[in-house]
Amino acid sequence: MRPTSAGRRPPIRAHLLRCLVAPSLRRGRATSQSGDSSAPRIWTLLGGLCRSRVVRLIVCAGVAASLSLAADIRAAYAQQGDANAGKVLYERKCAGCHGDKGDGKGAAAELLLPRPRDFTKGLYKIRTTANKTASDQDLFRIISDGMPGTSMPPWAVLPDKERWNLVAYIKTFAADAFKEAPKKLELPKDVSSSEASIKRGKEMFEAIECHKCHGTEGRADGPSRPELKDEWGFPVAPANLAKRWNFRGGSSRTEIATRIANGVLGTPMPAFLDAVEKPEDIWHLTNFIMSLGPDRPAFSTLVTISSTKDAIPDDPNAEAWKKAAASAIPLMGQVIVDPRNFNPVIDLVTIRGLYNDKEVAFHLTWDDPSESKGDGKQTFPDAIALQFPPKIIAGTERPYFLMGDANEAVYLLRWEQGKGVAESSANGPTKIAPIQGGEASGKAVYANGQYRLVIKRPMAAQGDARPTFQPAQFTPVAIQAWDGGSGETGTKMSLTSWYYLRLEEPQSNRRFVIPPVVAILTLAAMFLVVRAANRAR
Amino acid sequence: MRKALTIGTMITFVAGTALWLATSVSAQGGGTVEVEVKYNGPAKVDKLKVNKDTEKCGTETVVEHVVVGGNKGLANAVASAPGAKGASKAKAVLDQHGCKFVPHVVVMQPGELEIKNSDDILHNLHTYSTANPSINKAQPKFKKTMTEKLDKPEFVKVTCDVHSWMLGWVAVVPGVAAVTDKDGVAKLENVPAGKQKIEVWHETLGKQEKEVDVKAGAVTKVSFEMKGK
Repeated sequence: MRPTSAGRRPPIRAHLLRCLVAPSLRRGRATSQSGDSSAPRIWTLLGGLCRSRVVRLIVCAGVAASLSLAADIRAAYAQQGDANAGKVLYERKCAGCHGDKGDGKGAAAELLLPRPRDFTKGLYKIRTTANKTASDQDLFRIISDGMPGTSMPPWAVLPDKERWNLVAYIKTFAADAFKEAPKKLELPKDVSSSEASIKRGKEMFEAIECHKCHGTEGRADGPSRPELKDEWGFPVAPANLAKRWNFRGGSSRTEIATRIANGVLGTPMPAFLDAVEKPEDIWHLTNFIMSLGPDRPAFSTLVTISSTKDAIPDDPNAEAWKKAAASAIPLMGQVIVDPRNFNPVIDLVTIRGLYNDKEVAFHLTWDDPSESKGDGKQTFPDAIALQFPPKIIAGTERPYFLMGDANEAVYLLRWEQGKGVAESSANGPTKIAPIQGGEASGKAVYANGQYRLVIKRPMAAQGDARPTFQPAQFTPVAIQAWDGGSGETGTKMSLTSWYYLRLEEPQSNRRFVIPPVVAILTLAAMFLVVRAANRAR
Repeated sequence: MRKALTIGTMITFVAGTALWLATSVSAQGGGTVEVEVKYNGPAKVDKLKVNKDTEKCGTETVVEHVVVGGNKGLANAVASAPGAKGASKAKAVLDQHGCKFVPHVVVMQPGELEIKNSDDILHNLHTYSTANPSINKAQPKFKKTMTEKLDKPEFVKVTCDVHSWMLGWVAVVPGVAAVTDKDGVAKLENVPAGKQKIEVWHETLGKQEKEVDVKAGAVTKVSFEMKGK
């Protein structure tokens, strides 16, 4: 079982779900069988009994074997859920999205991407079976753990028995599909990760052309991406392989290997078990995919801007940026004002920063599957904005985080594809006024599904609408981002609430001088004390 | 020497008997049905610009939904005589060539289908079947052929998700079956004499059936007119 964490899902999705179907969402681990919890106690007891004599060992082994058999039987029994009891629960907890008839056409379905599962076809994306029949355990796992990156929350809050009842009821929507017994998928022999294995995985990744959908560096920007549809005709996005915490079926090695071998049923992702050169290539591919990104992002609460004496590079790929401290900030969809963004594309922005005595520069990195200048109808220019209060004052008072309000304005440093960086003052998301006499500049590069952008500005600012940045001051900052290629514009955006940003104090050379001087003086004092004591004797 | 001569004579005799039997069967029990399928409506062939893998797929492609040839003949329709046993046992082949399924409609007996990838790039065979297990299998450039089982009679849509325009059909049809040519004609050989049901299916225009009286050793003609939906 995979540990779950609060970082797995944009909180807004969970919030939406809570509004719609009102479950109390508690993340937890899914236990596979109700009998599991009692098993360890039995083993401890047996261990105690068996310790005394060698002869008893044989007897104990027999007892242990029959007990484990009993546990298996209990597990099998636990899987026999009660469909009638499941129906009651389903109508309360699941129908809001999946529909009363299980056809995936619940009241909320329109707003969700990916769409809720249509149970009437009996097709399940995430399965550990070699045929298309998902096992009961597969269904139970998804109900318990949810699907990261989608609106399906983990339902581990429900008792095991109730989840098994749901499994039983969901199967009744496609009774015919479950007539064929599930056959367990046998994965090739595991190959542990190594440099050689990752290298082979990369070769195979290129040979079997994973990049067609997933992109050269795995950021879901492949050439076939815009046309991908699922078997219901709904658009479906390839996984961003560098963000495996969003993998629908989990991010453990076995889960990834299973998806590669098995495909994702009902989507364009095909099965590759028979389509690699050697069976163990499945594991080399898995090891390569694991090397593309972290297990999960280490989110920051404070953005650190480092000081430098050198000139700050304009080029987002310059070496200086690789050395600067990076802060990963999660974004969520804007769902406060219409039109809302229930399915935000940009869920993570990494900020770096440098400043010297003249200027401050922010370096932003984020994944976007397409570089969009926009056609003005369905697509719009990609954009990102940093938001600050117009005047930075100590304390917790800040303008309204959603681009300010009528009483208090915010200052925006906004970059837009094709236009560059502009400064503006906003009194709400629809009341944005440009600030005359631009002082900011910027340069963006886009490659392999990722933007890198440098925004520069003088430290000191002219006028009341712009803040002046000062070292060692906690400066409120918020981010807004638009994936114009997916139709995001205006209030359809990803955003954060207020974070704090801090310009590190310039580090003087005194730190290299003072500690040694103190150390020498202390030593000298100790020496004097010791000598005085010796003399006195 | 004498032994060899005896064996030779025996072989000639056996072969001769077999040949006689074979011809007599076809003469007595089998006739040819020439099926002509017509369509009065407009053709529907989409021309699309191709923006990827252009060195293999070309820069333009056509998607054949309804192909109408000379004299209003409807191509790519499947004609079959479900009651006629003894169809060709040769394995049906579906090729992926120039980022198109070749042929657009492949006819097969329930059993195995050979799928070729002649393009040297990744394709994925994605079937939309209900009677047979649906397939979504990758076929990378180094996997030149693969074999899939389709046991149940069904008309199966086939797509490739890498190249969204690729569209093909696999007609799993028991009995004697053939696809109409560009003039809308399909020949069903070796159909037993007597009353036989002839079926015609087209991917967008649906199904029709007629009964014909097949005469042994002769060509029986039957004509269908498909109606637009």
